[in-house]
Amino acid sequence: MRYYKFNVRDGYYIGETRQFSVYEKGMIRRDEPLERLQIIPKINDKNHFNFQYGPATGGLIESLDFKIITNGEAIKGIVVNPYVKSRTMRCLNKTIDECLLLVERINGYHSASHSIAFLSAVEDALNIDIAEGTYYGRIVILELERIRSHLLVLKRMCEPAGFGVPMYQLSYINEIITRIISDISGHRYFYSTNKLNRVDVDFGLLSSYIQTLIKIKREFENIFDGLLESKIFINRLQGNGLIRDDPLIGPAARAAGFKRDARSNISILPYKELNFEPIIFNEGDSFGRFYIRGLEISQSFDLCINALERAKKSEYDYSNNFSGEGAARLESPSGDLFYYVNIDNGLIKDIQMSSPSYLNLKSFIKSAINTIFTDFHFNFESFGIWVSEVGVEFI
Amino acid sequence: MSNQWFIKGVKKGILTEGFPQLPPEKPPLRPSLLNGSSNFKCPVGALDENKWNPEKCIFCDKCSMEMHFTGDQKLFKINRKMNAFKRSLYIYIIDSGTCGACNTELFNIFSPQYDANRYGIFLTNTPRNADVLVLMGVETEGMKSVIEETYESMPEPKCVVKMGTCAIGGAGIGSKISSLEPDALIYGCPPSPYTILEALIELKGDKP
Repeated sequence: MRYYKFNVRDGYYIGETRQFSVYEKGMIRRDEPLERLQIIPKINDKNHFNFQYGPATGGLIESLDFKIITNGEAIKGIVVNPYVKSRTMRCLNKTIDECLLLVERINGYHSASHSIAFLSAVEDALNIDIAEGTYYGRIVILELERIRSHLLVLKRMCEPAGFGVPMYQLSYINEIITRIISDISGHRYFYSTNKLNRVDVDFGLLSSYIQTLIKIKREFENIFDGLLESKIFINRLQGNGLIRDDPLIGPAARAAGFKRDARSNISILPYKELNFEPIIFNEGDSFGRFYIRGLEISQSFDLCINALERAKKSEYDYSNNFSGEGAARLESPSGDLFYYVNIDNGLIKDIQMSSPSYLNLKSFIKSAINTIFTDFHFNFESFGIWVSEVGVEFI
Repeated sequence: MSNQWFIKGVKKGILTEGFPQLPPEKPPLRPSLLNGSSNFKCPVGALDENKWNPEKCIFCDKCSMEMHFTGDQKLFKINRKMNAFKRSLYIYIIDSGTCGACNTELFNIFSPQYDANRYGIFLTNTPRNADVLVLMGVETEGMKSVIEETYESMPEPKCVVKMGTCAIGGAGIGSKISSLEPDALIYGCPPSPYTILEALIELKGDKP
């Protein structure tokens, strides 16, 4: 394993796999089961009652089961069951290609991140050197995915505020990005686009979209500036869901002032060659997370265009009978995403994943205590949580 | 301040496209109808005796040497038209076990390019107001009773749509949703907004 070491607790905390606690540069075997996602008030107040929210509700994109302990307005405690829609992925004893079909369906909206993190772990096990064109191709599609994911979060934050016009304008831009993805890869969610040492994307066609990307970037910045000028909107976000301490990763960490971005501290993708520097802010509230995502959208447009010059399709004919162990981590739109694989004769013997949404859900619960229920959605959406990647079991 | 957004909105003009009266402006290649026959060993068993089965297909592109993606978005089957909902159709969604892609594609039919509201198609936050229950994702233990209770609490007349390969055929991930007979099936992994919109318009007995 080139990027990871066993029994090393080095760097910041990334999350949990089935067996390991994962850190920036190492992982430690965990014997205890994962702790429950809940905060229950210490004082038993007779005015508190339980409010059931979910699992099926129009307010959330995915099914998620909340039991909210409240006195009527303020949230005093939360018990979350993210495993209500848990899926089982039959990956063990499958080939890399068969497993990849399942991995890219763990979180459809971040399919490129999942497939590239998985393939990077496999390539680490194979000990192969990746072609330069593939590295930059991966950056291009990861940044397109980040733009679309952040746009969805911003759009979802406009919805509970009743800001219909910016919400629909952001959906419009989101759909244009999705159509560009569909044109260059053949699929709107990058399914079957990533292969070992290869990105199946028409980079030439994407180059013809550069002017469109620049135009959309400007259009987005106008909407974002308009939202920042709106006191009614900003007041709903400022001070809501404040969190400044661990466990924080991804945009939530960067909003709270932590310089935590896998793009700047790992070597599996050459972001440093593109002079990438993470954007940091000093407000750990919903506004901070909103603001960071807005700035990162503009940054991702630039990274995508810059990386495109060096992106290329390449071919790598790998042997089916290799064995090895590998691990890799990358920055998905929600934070650090980690994969560990153990391969025997070309078949998956073990696969473990640490998703950013698990830690984001943990941070969300912490941040929601003593906020009022009407601000719940702004706070929840600001973390960019995807339930689908939390409750996945590999068998 | 609210005026500012009103003016910004008006300045943009109408962004809605002509679909479904006009052909789709940017149909995805995958998913779309597949042509041809093949003896390729499909990883999810979508090629039974060389014939393509859209119920199982995840549109992974593995058979593309012999099969041909047409770009045609008519990837749905209506078992029962619901003419009672000709004027308006209120949708309640249940995610039984999705990857999230079907969910976002369904929300996308309300984006300015597609604007499903002009056909009287709306989302509702309660099954008490719903005409159609849209089921997505593979069958999961935690969501089985939720699906049944939701359907029971919907007023008559009501109908069920199964959307996406997971709900219809399991998609190689798990089992399809076994409860409730569907009035419409929308194929795709995930189905595109073009397919979803046209299927819902046909289900409500409306003319595109």
